[in-house]
Amino acid sequence: MAPATPVEISFGNGRRPEESTHVRSDYFDGPLALLLALIEQRQLDVLTVRLGDLAGAYLEALARIDTGRLGLLSSFVTVCSQLILIKTRALLPRAPQIGPGDTAAEADPEEELRRRLIEYRMFRDAGRVLGDRRATGAWLYHREAAAALAAGLSGARPDPGPPLAPQLLADALMASVRLVPPAPAAPEVMARTITLEERADVIRAALKRAPMIVLQELLRDVTDRVVVAITFLAVLELAKGREVAIDQTEPWGPITVTQLVAQKQADDG
Amino acid sequence: MVEEFPESRPPVEPPPGELSAAQLEALLFVAERPLARKEIASLAGVTVEDVDALLGDLEMTLHERGLRLLSAGEHVQLVTAPQAGRLIARYIGADGGRLSPAALETLAIVAYRQPVTRAVIERIRGVDSDYVLRSLLHRRLVVEQGRADAVGRPFLYGTGFDFLERFGLTSLDELPPLEPEAALRLDE
Repeated sequence: MAPATPVEISFGNGRRPEESTHVRSDYFDGPLALLLALIEQRQLDVLTVRLGDLAGAYLEALARIDTGRLGLLSSFVTVCSQLILIKTRALLPRAPQIGPGDTAAEADPEEELRRRLIEYRMFRDAGRVLGDRRATGAWLYHREAAAALAAGLSGARPDPGPPLAPQLLADALMASVRLVPPAPAAPEVMARTITLEERADVIRAALKRAPMIVLQELLRDVTDRVVVAITFLAVLELAKGREVAIDQTEPWGPITVTQLVAQKQADDG
Repeated sequence: MVEEFPESRPPVEPPPGELSAAQLEALLFVAERPLARKEIASLAGVTVEDVDALLGDLEMTLHERGLRLLSAGEHVQLVTAPQAGRLIARYIGADGGRLSPAALETLAIVAYRQPVTRAVIERIRGVDSDYVLRSLLHRRLVVEQGRADAVGRPFLYGTGFDFLERFGLTSLDELPPLEPEAALRLDE
């Protein structure tokens, strides 16, 4: 399973999964992956290879790394320095043992790195086995009637059935108009700031009055789309902070928000 | 993002005090979420041991059919059999997307070493794994499993139901064994 030659190194541009639009292939996400690739490329055995001998090849590969990503580069440099240390130790005669147990306590850097490589390879290979397993498509599915129905209706099924009536489109348009009524024209233009915190406080206040609120009910009289959007984001923030739990049983259905204070206190305690 | 499933409301009627294999199968069929063993026991008014025994029977019976019993920790759920996977995927239009080698090796560390902290993952991989771990959490292949009793109380990560489903495993016991030679050497 050795990767294709030559070794190419690149990093994805996106830091967050939701921002990443970049599909990466054949890239070495990590210094151990790179070192292992160099060993496998030369058809050497991890258990016996003299790691110091790879310092040159590793440095050469390192030189090709995009230096724009220094944060990631540092981990490569750490392994590189270990390789150079191993190589140096192999070249120089060992200092005589000064105190009792002095050298015994000191771990051999080559064995240490080899151990890490073996451990890394074990999980990398396990990941590949899992990946192959996943690729067989022998997935398990639980019953999720609403999702299956929605998928079926959206035409994900091979046979989508009869075409949709144009009236459905008109109805959908009317429904979306009802969802957020157009805001009346503002009498004058003025700067305003709606903060997440402000909207979070509104939700917290509502939750003090009732153990469970429905987001659509809370926003019933709100005509401003920005307020609606910020309130929705505030709910997500609260859920992220474990202050509330949100639930929606079907697409476009009511979004219920319940307080999780007891849970939060238990966590803190 | 700790995997939590809501408990059902306490039933108004007193529990019947008995549970048959057929009833258990029917209950799991209707439930569209994983059920805790003790929740089933309290619904039926039987002991958790009774539920466990019936679940064992059900698992055996299901092997002939298109369904399997998925079990992760305390929770169980009825799922479709692996051999039906491609057909169901065609029906619901499921597309799992690609998992990068980095995501797969991180997932392997979490799956085999769980519960595990990010620090342990990063020690094994030798590289910052925040991005890849976040992506796995986002896809619900990895879930938070509380916090470690260490300085800073770091999050512990493990795999949940979605992981088992996407990899066609009915429990973690079915994970393919790790390379024995490497595992042995690391134990030295």
